[in-house]
Amino acid sequence: MRALLALLVLGWLAGDAFADEPEAGPSWWPAALRVRGRLAEEFAYRLHDPGDVSKLKTLGWLEGKYTLSEAANVRVTTRGYYDAVFAATDRYPDNVRRNQEKELELREAILTLSHGDFDVRVGRQQIVWGEAISTFVTDVVNPKDFREFVLPDFTELRVPIWALDGSWRLARNVTFQGVWTPDTMHNRLPKKGAEFQFQGPAFQFRNPVVRLPDGEDEFSLARSEGGFRLSALREGWDVSLIYYDEADKTPVLFQRRVPQPPRPDVIVLEPRHPRLHIVGFTLAKSVEPVVIRSEVAVSVGKRYETTDRNDGDGVVRRDTIDYLIGVDFPLGWDVDGALQLSQKILTGDASGLTRPGVQGRVTTSLALRLTTGFFDNTLNPSLLFVVGVERADFRLSPRLEWVLSGSLTMAVGADVFEGGRRTLYGQFDRNDRVTFTTTWRF
Amino acid sequence: MFDAHRSSHRWPVALVVALALAWAAPAAADEAADIVRDADRFRRPAESFVWKINITSQEAKKSPSTDGFEVFVKGSGRSLVKFVAPPRNVGRSLLALGRDLWIYLPDAGKPVRIPFSQRLVGQVANGDVARADYSGDYDAKLLGEETVDGVACHVLDLKAKTKDVTYAGVKYWVSKDGRRPVKAEFYAATGTLLKTGTFDGFKEVVPGHVLATRLTLVDGIRKDKSSVLDYGGIVVRDIPDKYFDKNAMKSLD
Repeated sequence: MRALLALLVLGWLAGDAFADEPEAGPSWWPAALRVRGRLAEEFAYRLHDPGDVSKLKTLGWLEGKYTLSEAANVRVTTRGYYDAVFAATDRYPDNVRRNQEKELELREAILTLSHGDFDVRVGRQQIVWGEAISTFVTDVVNPKDFREFVLPDFTELRVPIWALDGSWRLARNVTFQGVWTPDTMHNRLPKKGAEFQFQGPAFQFRNPVVRLPDGEDEFSLARSEGGFRLSALREGWDVSLIYYDEADKTPVLFQRRVPQPPRPDVIVLEPRHPRLHIVGFTLAKSVEPVVIRSEVAVSVGKRYETTDRNDGDGVVRRDTIDYLIGVDFPLGWDVDGALQLSQKILTGDASGLTRPGVQGRVTTSLALRLTTGFFDNTLNPSLLFVVGVERADFRLSPRLEWVLSGSLTMAVGADVFEGGRRTLYGQFDRNDRVTFTTTWRF
Repeated sequence: MFDAHRSSHRWPVALVVALALAWAAPAAADEAADIVRDADRFRRPAESFVWKINITSQEAKKSPSTDGFEVFVKGSGRSLVKFVAPPRNVGRSLLALGRDLWIYLPDAGKPVRIPFSQRLVGQVANGDVARADYSGDYDAKLLGEETVDGVACHVLDLKAKTKDVTYAGVKYWVSKDGRRPVKAEFYAATGTLLKTGTFDGFKEVVPGHVLATRLTLVDGIRKDKSSVLDYGGIVVRDIPDKYFDKNAMKSLD
């Protein structure tokens, strides 16, 4: 709470917070320093048993940018939050409370240097690849925070990493980007008992089972990750080629049997992060008033847990192709639509694989997003519908945003999940919720 | 009855007329293109410059809303539009490279392709702010002459050269004296009038260069919906190429 109060005070110092127009700071304020931020109150009410508050979160962001010259600047962003739901209810176990109740995190600390056609960004940052929104097909550099599934904004879902990111403009509209990081952090997954805890692998062991903890996030030169992106714009076709070498950011549970005579063998589940080589491309093209986009990523070395008892380590390799094709189009009456088809294709048999996000050799998803605005975009309804085609599990998220002023917005919405327990969206079938969010920017 | 003798005399005349028309048509088209090119000069002060645009939108009896933008322009096809007000939009930016457009949204964390024709605010489309190159985007044809508010004008019919521009067609009034832009009607491909624009506030904002510092756009159907674009804060300077690289949009925020 003290951190949030500090954010509030700094925000007040940064300027007249209630003004719609940006104003010059006080005379003592350095002109090269820009400070801005926002505060948000997020409330969620779970509709199913036990119908109760599931989020009562106060968040604050504070960003400062100091411009040293046209060729150099430093940007620092922090985010803090406190979720009072853990004090208001006793529904969540202590490990979840410790993991999700409060956080103060450095979201960005970037030194940007430019010289001619070279730009270098060094520090803690998000490096985002891809053309489509609301998808991670080629957004492979940063790990993700899935503790609230994929419901927050994507920039909040990405976990920042310490990295070196360099760009070189080879020619007009042709850019080469190289990335290297020793920050081999993994995805943040919800703890057991959390509101959006994932369904675990569908193992059926007769023997006792011990699950080892996941390795701690750490810096490692030996396990460092890196890759490149080559982007070009030709005749309106925006094309990128990517390659990234990384450890799988989602742990894979390798099995081994430990003899315990005269008792039965113990099954040890050890989370590991096998190396992946990701090759892909993206493209986008605008044909007024329609925009088409596509992303493809081939993950070489991808491994999955299997229930096949004859498999020695309980893990099989299935190189995986993820792709999407999307089209944005106006529907008339000021309604914009976006339709997106995505598929995950495994190169090999998928029977016995246990992840909710993998429905078979081919897993197909269809997403439709509709947005519009009334009263000069002060009342903005939107709808997101995503369906898993093979098992008809879906997510439906209507939302209504009300722009009260240039600084203040309120939004009411819902997240409805439907489907079988072992499907991506169906695993949260009992987590339907309504939400209310207030955001104030300064 | 067909008169072969008289007909044989007509052929050379017809040929001369056809050749004259064939010669005159490109000449007229050249003149139309020249007029549009000259009028464009009142909408851009230099080859490389920065300006601020305040857009005030009004709908019926509602109180007006104001959005602020800082626009970096280089050459005829490259511009970066930073959203500077109100606070809820700060951090966003638009990048136009030729006929391609991206928006950077802080919530998404990356640039995303969008069409020029998409609405930015009020009656203003992305292309109204990100591109000011009618001569590059449209083929012009002279329709005639009219007087608009006492100003004698050329009337031009502009047809989009490709589908990748903001409007399918523009009817454009340019003053005969000085070739200043005066008025424009913007049309969809269906022929529907989308909006009407009037140019005024002509000032010498850069030594030796007069600019239209105000563009008023009124909805084609609902005349009580309008947006006023005020241009100011013009600085002529060389802008580094990194401003026009979509991969740098986040860093430039």
